[in-house]
Amino acid sequence: MEVKLDKRYELGVSSTKAWTILSDLEAIASCMPGASLGERLGDNAYKGSVKVKVGPATAQFGGEVAILAMDESTRSMTLKGKGADKGGSSASMELDAIIEDHDNGDVTLVGNAVVIVNGKFAQFGGRMMVQVSDVILNQFVDNFIAKARALDGPDTSAESSSTASQSGESSKELDGLGIFWALCKNWFRGLFGKNSAD
Amino acid sequence: MNAPVKTPEERQAELQGMGDARLRKEDARFIQGKGQYCDDIKLPGMLHMDIVRSPIAHGRIKNIKKEEALAIPGVHAVLTADDLKPLNLHWMPTLAGDVAAVLADEKVHFQMQEVAIVIADDRYIAADAVEAVEVEYEELPVVMDPYGALEDDAPVLREDLAGKDEGAHGPREHHNHIFTWEAGDKEAADDVFASAPVTVSQHMHYPRVHPCPLETCGCVASFDPIKGELTTWMTSQAPHVVRTVVSMLSGVPESKVRIISPDIGGGFGNKVGVYPGYVCAIVSSIVLGKPVKWSEDRIENISSTAFARDYHMDGHLAATEDGKILGLKVDVLADHGAFDACADPTKFPAGLFHICSGSYDISAAHCSVKGVYTNKAPGGVAYRCSFRVTEAVYLIERMVDVLAQKLDMDKADIRRKNLIRKDQFPYTSPFGFEYDSGDYHTALEKVLNAVDYKDLRAEQEEKRNDPNSPTLMGIGLVTFTEVVGAGPTKMCDILGVGMFDSCEIRIHPTGSAIARMGTISQGQGHQTTYAQIIASELGIPSEVIQVEEGDTSTAPYGLGTYGSRSTPVAGAAIAMAARKIHAKAKKIAAHLLEVSEADLDWEIDRFKVRGNEDQVKTMADIAFAAYQQPPEGLEPGLEAVHYYDPPNFTYPFGIYFCVVDIDKGTGESSIRRFYALDDCGTRINPMIIDGQIHGGLTEGFAVAMGQQMPFDEQGNLLGNTLMDYFLPTAVETPAWETDYTVTPSPHHPIGAKGVAESPHVGSIPTFTSAVVDAFAHLGVTHIDMPHTSYRIWKKLKEEGVQL
Repeated sequence: MEVKLDKRYELGVSSTKAWTILSDLEAIASCMPGASLGERLGDNAYKGSVKVKVGPATAQFGGEVAILAMDESTRSMTLKGKGADKGGSSASMELDAIIEDHDNGDVTLVGNAVVIVNGKFAQFGGRMMVQVSDVILNQFVDNFIAKARALDGPDTSAESSSTASQSGESSKELDGLGIFWALCKNWFRGLFGKNSAD
Repeated sequence: MNAPVKTPEERQAELQGMGDARLRKEDARFIQGKGQYCDDIKLPGMLHMDIVRSPIAHGRIKNIKKEEALAIPGVHAVLTADDLKPLNLHWMPTLAGDVAAVLADEKVHFQMQEVAIVIADDRYIAADAVEAVEVEYEELPVVMDPYGALEDDAPVLREDLAGKDEGAHGPREHHNHIFTWEAGDKEAADDVFASAPVTVSQHMHYPRVHPCPLETCGCVASFDPIKGELTTWMTSQAPHVVRTVVSMLSGVPESKVRIISPDIGGGFGNKVGVYPGYVCAIVSSIVLGKPVKWSEDRIENISSTAFARDYHMDGHLAATEDGKILGLKVDVLADHGAFDACADPTKFPAGLFHICSGSYDISAAHCSVKGVYTNKAPGGVAYRCSFRVTEAVYLIERMVDVLAQKLDMDKADIRRKNLIRKDQFPYTSPFGFEYDSGDYHTALEKVLNAVDYKDLRAEQEEKRNDPNSPTLMGIGLVTFTEVVGAGPTKMCDILGVGMFDSCEIRIHPTGSAIARMGTISQGQGHQTTYAQIIASELGIPSEVIQVEEGDTSTAPYGLGTYGSRSTPVAGAAIAMAARKIHAKAKKIAAHLLEVSEADLDWEIDRFKVRGNEDQVKTMADIAFAAYQQPPEGLEPGLEAVHYYDPPNFTYPFGIYFCVVDIDKGTGESSIRRFYALDDCGTRINPMIIDGQIHGGLTEGFAVAMGQQMPFDEQGNLLGNTLMDYFLPTAVETPAWETDYTVTPSPHHPIGAKGVAESPHVGSIPTFTSAVVDAFAHLGVTHIDMPHTSYRIWKKLKEEGVQL
């Protein structure tokens, strides 16, 4: 099952701070809910794992993650992760991320990702892939912002993002109940937000 | 004082013979939860097997690490293809002349393919150990589309077949090509099409579905290392064939292999083949010297054991302007998955698909079926139908509707015009089948009258003209003919064994009897109906006739139960065995009554001396005498065995009619009426026939309206749980109306044709016919199954239907 995700997040921190995090694989990993890095395999490659828990089902994808390209001048990077779970699932993700500076002072994190999931996770979770990914990415961005803000130096944005977590600590495991709650919220929002059937 | 003398009518009724709506003898145990299924078998010291399966659809196995699994307490063994290689059991032959991997050998070819097995003390430990086996794959490009599979640069799926240009059914044209099989006369068909005033064509896909029996597959293998005997309880529709295969594969002499099919919770074709799970459990039991049980879970059943259909069909009809069909051409691309494990008689890689000229008198016809490999699970079984007959009936019935639409003819009129007439039987079809008997026109008129066809058409017209109607109304009509009862051994065999079937009857001294059969019931009610045949033939009450099947050590060799073959083949064997006993009984009666056999008349349950009606010997009298004082020159005892090789197939038929109402806003459909008239020849038990028809219609409803196995481009099966896969309950199932005519088979000893599959075969195109008819006024000629609300809703939008 292949899912394409195109996301933009307003960061509310300076692009320099944001790039500091984005260009540091270890920092990114610590923002990713349930992710951890293991043995270093090369300059920009690590063994790693991501643990996802949805209800009673837990999947622990173990594999490798590597930065394929990094360009400070455009503040862009490409990352590839690939892993398998012992319960009979495998997943891969290729992510292009760019930090955009806008004239009005806004800083945007733009992410384009192609996620491929195979095995049981695709069979059971297929229909929830987009929603679950959204939730995971939102948590990731919250952690990202918090981590960037915690860096020394000025923020461009004076206001603090209301959604950002105040703590620099990241969640180490995707919280199943949290996902469920977020899914319900999004679903209701979709339900009432719609004008009419098109 | 003597007991009151019973009238012949009373004696007849007491027999509960053919035609009696006798209650099912099986149900007493089933409704009390006392059925004995495979998973109920528990042997001392029994170990449990579970299977490590591939998460990806195509890839190379780079490494399998067993250590962690083997370290778990209670784990006895972890086996992979490399462990089976020295025994030459890592691959096995399929029924279709191909080979299939028992455990993936270097490559995986479909998602959920068997990669390794774990044997442990209990099922829980086995399941934990499965997760502890680490398999590393190198992913390969996946081929899901059968058309794409035949492109020049398509990935090579079966590397094991490299260089094999010749398959089991002729030359292979491409690395993913299995066979091309043709029937009929291409030249004659081409000629007709070249000059015909009207031709129509339609492409259609018969989706991949799964029989999904309530009981999944499983077995308990028990090898006795002291005696060298292997006993295996197995969910098998064909235990005798399995015994032969197991003996060939394992090297254990067939006399020391015993296969027992206990109670079976539905088969529908899913339990015909030999699966890797069976082979692995048997090998494990032989290696470990202990009993080993394997039971599939639902996901494994739907994902890896045999699917049905997946035919991409192009149909073409040629006709006159007034609707007389002149010619038929069909091209099929058959998606067989990773291995050709289609369950068909050996000579027929597309089964009996060439019944596709249906109930119609067509002079020229040709069909061609091309089989290809893809990265899907193997199979291609007859899901509640005779081999590929469902596909054939769907094709021709759809095409006749398409032609009617093109000519603006009524779908009943076009059928009237083209149905084979009663006086044309026996009728030889353009594909060479000899239809045994039929009276299609009588049956058609009976149905049209019963449903007030004209009134329904008028109502439909009214609704079409009323923009405020909240619903679209569709009328479906199908006039189908099946070919069942495979089959004559001159044409039909499985792995070289002719498709006869067998019966052994023993009459005990006190007049009760036991019959043992080569078939095996999976819900058909054999214990009930077989006894009724014997009761009518021999005058022994059904109640005292035991019917046993499924144990290869006691039952005579038979090819099993599938393709509606039990009554046409085994039912005939019963009648013939009973007639042998009847002949011997007559000799004994003549001896006891001191008359010549020519002076005896048979009446219900006794021989009478002609002209002296008081001089009688009942079958019970004769049975005792057979063991006590047989006439000189006649051996004692009263028993017979018959192996029946049918001279022809049987051709049951039916007229099915359906009215569907479709909600213009939501796409929801409601089956307002479904009327099924079946002609299965002589009727043995009308209650069981009704039950069979209700079951078949319900499964047909499931296929047409909801069942599918959706795959994504990576080869993930996205519908392998009962959350996704549609099994209708009483809530969704429409009400069924049944009817019948009786046109006996002239070549069958009791005239019976078989019935269990007709309702499935016949109903599926009827639903499609009705759904398409709801859109027919918009120019729609075909809509592929399944007709789910969502798909119908999309069609409504596509056609611009306004609420």
